Amino acid sequence: MRGIREVEWAEADASAVLLSKPRVKLQTVRDLIGEKTVKLLTFASAIIIVFIFLFIIKTAGGVLLSNGYHFVTRSGFDQQVVRAYSATAENPSWYFGVWGLLIGTLGTTLGALLLALPMGIGTAIVISELAPPGIRYLLQMVVRLLASIPSVIYGLIGLMVVVPFIQSALISSAAQIEYINRFQLSGHSMLAGMLVLSIMIVPIIIALAVDAINAVPVRYKEAALALGLSHWRTIVRVTLPAARSGILAGVILAVGRAVGEAIALSMVCGGIGNIPKVQDGFVFFLTPVLTLASAIVNKSELMSIAPIQSALFGCGLVLLITSTVLSLCARLVELVVKRGEGIV
Amino acid sequence: MAAWFFSSLTIAACLGIILYIFFKGAGQINAEFIFTSPNPTLNQDMSGGISTPIIGTILLTLIGIAIAFPWALSTAIYLSEYGGPQLIFQVFRMAIDVLAGVPTIVLAIFGLAVFSLPQFGFLSSMVQGVAGVHRAFGRSFLVAGITMAIMILPFVIRICEEAIKAVPNMYRESAMAMGASKWQSITTVILPAARNGIITGVILGMGRIIGDTAIVWLTLGGTIRMTGLQPWWQPAHWLSTLQNTGSTLTSYVYFASPAGEGNMPDKAFGAALVLVVMIIAINVFTDILGRSGQRIKGN
Repeated sequence: MRGIREVEWAEADASAVLLSKPRVKLQTVRDLIGEKTVKLLTFASAIIIVFIFLFIIKTAGGVLLSNGYHFVTRSGFDQQVVRAYSATAENPSWYFGVWGLLIGTLGTTLGALLLALPMGIGTAIVISELAPPGIRYLLQMVVRLLASIPSVIYGLIGLMVVVPFIQSALISSAAQIEYINRFQLSGHSMLAGMLVLSIMIVPIIIALAVDAINAVPVRYKEAALALGLSHWRTIVRVTLPAARSGILAGVILAVGRAVGEAIALSMVCGGIGNIPKVQDGFVFFLTPVLTLASAIVNKSELMSIAPIQSALFGCGLVLLITSTVLSLCARLVELVVKRGEGIV
Repeated sequence: MAAWFFSSLTIAACLGIILYIFFKGAGQINAEFIFTSPNPTLNQDMSGGISTPIIGTILLTLIGIAIAFPWALSTAIYLSEYGGPQLIFQVFRMAIDVLAGVPTIVLAIFGLAVFSLPQFGFLSSMVQGVAGVHRAFGRSFLVAGITMAIMILPFVIRICEEAIKAVPNMYRESAMAMGASKWQSITTVILPAARNGIITGVILGMGRIIGDTAIVWLTLGGTIRMTGLQPWWQPAHWLSTLQNTGSTLTSYVYFASPAGEGNMPDKAFGAALVLVVMIIAINVFTDILGRSGQRIKGN
């Protein structure tokens, strides 16, 4: 730091000799204004980040204080919202629990990940190892385009294609009658959410896996091939394990996207926070669910009521904590990768 | 073999989606659809076109970028040129990372709740006619634009910072050696050298604003017409237009899909096609920009 100071002093002397006095002064003032503005705006960014976090925690505080940890273990969010909506102003209802939404979020995310992982890694292998350059370029273009399509369009296609398909192919009238007491089997389901989400997160996994596979040193592959492994076994036994932290980073990013996805899921999942039951067999996947993020979209019109606003910020806080943890995990993976290529 | 199978599955799904949008949407696209304003009615023949959603998308993108760009660039300059490896800057960088990963829906309810405070009534309008309620409406182009700016802020900061850091140190040293002050060297040497990267960041930020639905749906509202003083395009009514609600292409698609109140999927596909074309244009533009940048570096 001191070196730079000295340079600055030297500079000031030099310009004092070279330039007439008023110009130097003007320049110094200009520098000062510029530097102060930049500093001020940086400070503003820091303040706004802190403010967002504090505001969300404070607004969610009402619900968290009155429910405690039951806020994440109790189910029946839809009925609780209705009760809070119809409660009088003197006697508001602060009774909320988001267990059903957590299950919905977890189910759609895990399902989407299970579908997207083989698709993503398979495509990444083809792009980086198997395809000729022309096809490789084409594939990368398509993947990039897929990554930038807005989520509402995925929701629209899910609603027009996936939901009717599930309804006509997988749901019989008998099943509809059997479950009518619990929920309506209409194709709006966890399965539809998984399918739509998996297509949305595939490009993320592909992009990071391609980078990771390309970063594997060529000598690894050469050594494996020299030992007599086939091309395919080299990929499976050497390249993929060497690239696994990069792939893991892609998975973390993809999970972040899947957990936070609101609009597309609120369109295809059905708006009711049922908890899918494993003993239902395949109907487990056909249960309409609600995720944390899509609950915020669906109930946002009732936000003028304080307890509901607080409950929605509670959902937001859970999402915030999840995304923070995921960001830190991504950092950790990055750190491990940086720490030594020897480990990976 | 497995890899080929899964990749052809992925590519088939991608191409299927893109072709589906093109075929469903292309039938809708004509001059009338693009240039007439939407009309909320159940009669499909009278429901109009998508002129105001297109204007809304452009307007919102401009507001968001106008706020986010100077802000993000300043933060990037400070972090890369003035900030060191001290703990406070590390924490700050990490906080930016965390904010970048926050789902947009969380920022959307944040924006809606904050700008519903009566102090921010000048950004939208005050709720009137309800006894005992003193709060702002919290939905307008200005509110949505500010929320969008916050959404893309961490993203644009990261890209600008990378671009500034990629400028070789030689440039800074030469500028200093010629007697430029630090600020002079930043504005006259470093920023011009990092220009391509910075522009890429801005364009990618615009892409995110264009594609976002959650923030639009919550902070711009579910109306599909411009709700300010009519006619909204007259300069005298501009402020009122900004303070009131409207729609963008994404919220139009949501409104017109079977999930929204409009339920006219054909029109939704038409709007979706326009949206995809916009996104493709942005992708192509960043591609060209990136390539020209590489060529300069290659020389």
